[in-house]
Amino acid sequence: MTAITDRQKLQYIAAQAADARVNVELEAEGMTLNIGPQHPATHGTLRIVARLDGEQVIAAEPIPGYMHRGYEKLTEVRTYAQVTALVNRIDWLGSFANEVPFILAAEQLMGVEAPPRAQWIRTLLFEMARISNLILFLGDMAVQLGAVTPAFFAFRDREYVLDQIERVTGGRFHPNFDRIGGLKDDLPQGWLADTKATMDKVRAFCDEIENLLMGAEIFQARTRGVGVIPPDVAQQYGLSGANARASGIDWDLRRDQPNGMVYPELDWKVWTHPDGDSFARFWVRLQETREAANIVEQCCDGVPGGPIMAKVPRIIKVPAGEAYVSTENPLGEMGYYVVSKGDLTPFRVKIRSASFNNVSIAPWILRGVYVPDIITILASLYFILGDIDR
Amino acid sequence: MPKPPFPKPKVPGVLKGMGITLRTAKETVFPNGPIPQPSKGAVTVQYPHDADLPADRARGVISLKEDNCTACMLCARECPDWCIYIEGHKTLAPPRREGGKPRKVNALDRFDIDFSLCMYCGICVEVCPFEALFWSPEYEYSELKIADLLHDKSRLGQWFETVPDFEPLESGSEVKVKKVPR
Repeated sequence: MTAITDRQKLQYIAAQAADARVNVELEAEGMTLNIGPQHPATHGTLRIVARLDGEQVIAAEPIPGYMHRGYEKLTEVRTYAQVTALVNRIDWLGSFANEVPFILAAEQLMGVEAPPRAQWIRTLLFEMARISNLILFLGDMAVQLGAVTPAFFAFRDREYVLDQIERVTGGRFHPNFDRIGGLKDDLPQGWLADTKATMDKVRAFCDEIENLLMGAEIFQARTRGVGVIPPDVAQQYGLSGANARASGIDWDLRRDQPNGMVYPELDWKVWTHPDGDSFARFWVRLQETREAANIVEQCCDGVPGGPIMAKVPRIIKVPAGEAYVSTENPLGEMGYYVVSKGDLTPFRVKIRSASFNNVSIAPWILRGVYVPDIITILASLYFILGDIDR
Repeated sequence: MPKPPFPKPKVPGVLKGMGITLRTAKETVFPNGPIPQPSKGAVTVQYPHDADLPADRARGVISLKEDNCTACMLCARECPDWCIYIEGHKTLAPPRREGGKPRKVNALDRFDIDFSLCMYCGICVEVCPFEALFWSPEYEYSELKIADLLHDKSRLGQWFETVPDFEPLESGSEVKVKKVPR
């Protein structure tokens, strides 16, 4: 038996020490993973700080505010016409939908009602904004799961809808088309027929996405049973829109509070899903895109003749008072609380945007999930950072 | 939570999806026959060689009809980011009729729009009571220096030639279609 050399002794001690160090690291409290502020899954600049135990999230916290533009304060120094141009930039994927609740609140304060033709066209464009928003979600959700093809399909087919919006409003993303008492301009000739043809394309895209993605085993394995939100938790966190409906809450402001819109005269359905997981949120939004295409077609058929602008003064001074109007925007409930003191500008505007509440459930829902699922769940919650930070 | 029963498809969903991808690729690259024609089946255009024109109402660039402008400053006041600069002076114009008095008019010295600040909201075009401002769908005016984006009144006047006529409106409309004063 050979004697143990000093060198071997030292090697043994060093190995022991290394093992001990590894053990200490493994038994440690965990590590902190910083996702964002720049991450493709965040649609902007949302930072999420996650505390990990191995692959599992112990605690996660969203940190919004990297894109705060101070719109609530800016509205206090803008006239009502200028506010419309400003609020386009809140949810930039469905811009027209942002203008509508503000205009409805101002109309409520002034006691004006838009003529029927304006209401129908407003509903039509509102649903087209929803389609252009949701199409991008349907493609983008696949990107977060590693499938790239649906994103290209989505960008291709969204462009048809945006072209139609541009033809009537003049802007692809920022229409700035809604006015107090009506609309800025009337529809150009042949637009309604072209829009109906576009809706066929939208429906074909929905079928394509369904065949492409929803049947795929990888997609189902990544989304079914992941990020389940029970209905009571969804209500506690103030979730709205498709996120709430995917948890089985039958609640849609288009049906429940159709103030100033023509939804009661149309034949459509509110889609809900009992599961509350990421798959359900995707499914509900897919069905909503189809339903929105149906609504647009019905609006195209039903637009009545008449004026598009009610009688309003050229210089708009909204009488003193306060009003809160909320509508069912593509991302959920969006409301404006407008306080006026009779000036050219609003005295105070509080914007209740859907994404801020929808993302506030992140600490609850991310607890205990695995790191790759963070991206899936955030993508299926579908927030837009302009809508969170304003 | 029990999962609802989901029937097992005959073809695996992943293969089905890949089939759709391949079919679209085939329709794009080989629109007719075995000869590849990537530019024919594509929905995009090769921009510098082949431009896609925006809609007539597209808010591309603001054009000025200088004769109609009275330097009333309404557009400059209503602009949300104050990117319109106007200077003018009062002057005497020849009378409309023979033997009449000379008219007092506002002459326009300076009318600049800074397109590096403009947010393309269209409020100036809308508030103009004298039909001096119009939207043109032209969009090719990018510059190497940001200061060159300040278009003066001669440059804005050149854009006026590209303003399209207002489109006829959909049936049922009671809005009168205005005419572009050429």
